[in-house]
Amino acid sequence: MAKKENILMVGTAKGLFILRRKADAKDWAMEGPHFAGRAVYSAFFDNRAGRRDMWAAATSWHFGAELSKSTDMGKTWDAPEEMRIKMPTATKKSLENIWQIAPGADDDTLYVGVQPAALFESKNAGETWSLNRGLWNHPHRKQWTPGFGGLCLHTIVTDNKDPHDIKIAISTGGVYQSSDGGNKWQVTNTGVKAYFLPNQYPKFGQCVHKIARHPRKKNIFFLQNHHGVYRSRDGATTWEEIENGLPSNFGFGLTVTDNGSVFIVPLDSDGKRFTCEGKLRVYRSSDDGNSWKPLTKGLPQRDAYEVILRDAVASAGNEVYFGTKNGKLFGSQDNGDSWKTIQASLPEICCVKAYRI
Amino acid sequence: MSVTVHLSGHLKAFSSGELEIALPGKYETVADVLDSLWRRHLALRDRVLTEQGEIRQHVNIYLGSKDVRRLNGLDTPVSTDEIHIFNAVSGG
Repeated sequence: MAKKENILMVGTAKGLFILRRKADAKDWAMEGPHFAGRAVYSAFFDNRAGRRDMWAAATSWHFGAELSKSTDMGKTWDAPEEMRIKMPTATKKSLENIWQIAPGADDDTLYVGVQPAALFESKNAGETWSLNRGLWNHPHRKQWTPGFGGLCLHTIVTDNKDPHDIKIAISTGGVYQSSDGGNKWQVTNTGVKAYFLPNQYPKFGQCVHKIARHPRKKNIFFLQNHHGVYRSRDGATTWEEIENGLPSNFGFGLTVTDNGSVFIVPLDSDGKRFTCEGKLRVYRSSDDGNSWKPLTKGLPQRDAYEVILRDAVASAGNEVYFGTKNGKLFGSQDNGDSWKTIQASLPEICCVKAYRI
Repeated sequence: MSVTVHLSGHLKAFSSGELEIALPGKYETVADVLDSLWRRHLALRDRVLTEQGEIRQHVNIYLGSKDVRRLNGLDTPVSTDEIHIFNAVSGG
């Protein structure tokens, strides 16, 4: 039987790096940069139904954002004559960036979240794509406004047991969800604060940075907001604060491991946006967000002014990884108790995607 | 008049390596020339223009030595036999 292998797809401001490590190996082997010079904000390894498809979205600030596919584990990438993801002419919008590539509930469905905030879907494993009209025609859409990163749909959470259940997050728009496969969308931001608006608890308009689902308790979700860390117990419908013990409620990335541990990396306020007190600390909750514990072993605890972006925290099984805008990539194989530096001088890390095959 | 399109080296991945493309024929506007260019190398179209048919923000098209944005955009009448497509010097 083949040994298990860990794969990291690390998207940076200057290209994609792919790191691989066999289960019993100490070090990672790294390839890249693919798409050298282009920013990669999203990547996905589709190993469903026996496939070995790697997807990455590379954005050239000159020539646009395009979705590319590799069928040889990242050695070569295609560039179709006509880009796969294009805003229909009738929208009068142009694609600016691709923020998320995510699997649907069945083996052949893929979703892509883009800027300007919109959802694309493929029902044939990426062969063809179309704009999700239900969301595009949502009456709120024209009132969504861009955050610092642009008006983007950056998070897509599906349920592999229920193909009708799709949850998304938009900055700034907030959390929306569909229970009919994407035809109709409901806004579900109750309890989430938008401190930058006169009405601080609006129906929509929140700057949600990331949401993630508990692996076993399907109705429990976690949310890292633009100031605010929240939990939902009712399927991402209503939210309650879970900030007890955190040095800051600001941050971007969030992941939940298979054992249900939640990991975030707080940053010092939206005015500063770097790690608190010059210490790089990951915070873990092992009780669904009731309490948080700082994790520091192996991480710099002085003069560390790091920024961790919304898709730069990831997990595979119970292994956790994160990357920083200073190009450092860290990993933990013991549920966050200790960390190792995997790479120290990559370009600015935009996303980290972790897989175990 | 026939037109030769000169491409920035960054675009050769989308033009089968060609950087100087002669397009025989008669063209009224820059858009007509580009339509002919897309027929030769379709992959260039989506990299030079947005989905809405506009020149990408950080791409510059020159008719002779003049930036077509300062003329009449893609509707500029073709008055010389050379068009250049460059990526702008923007970047970070």
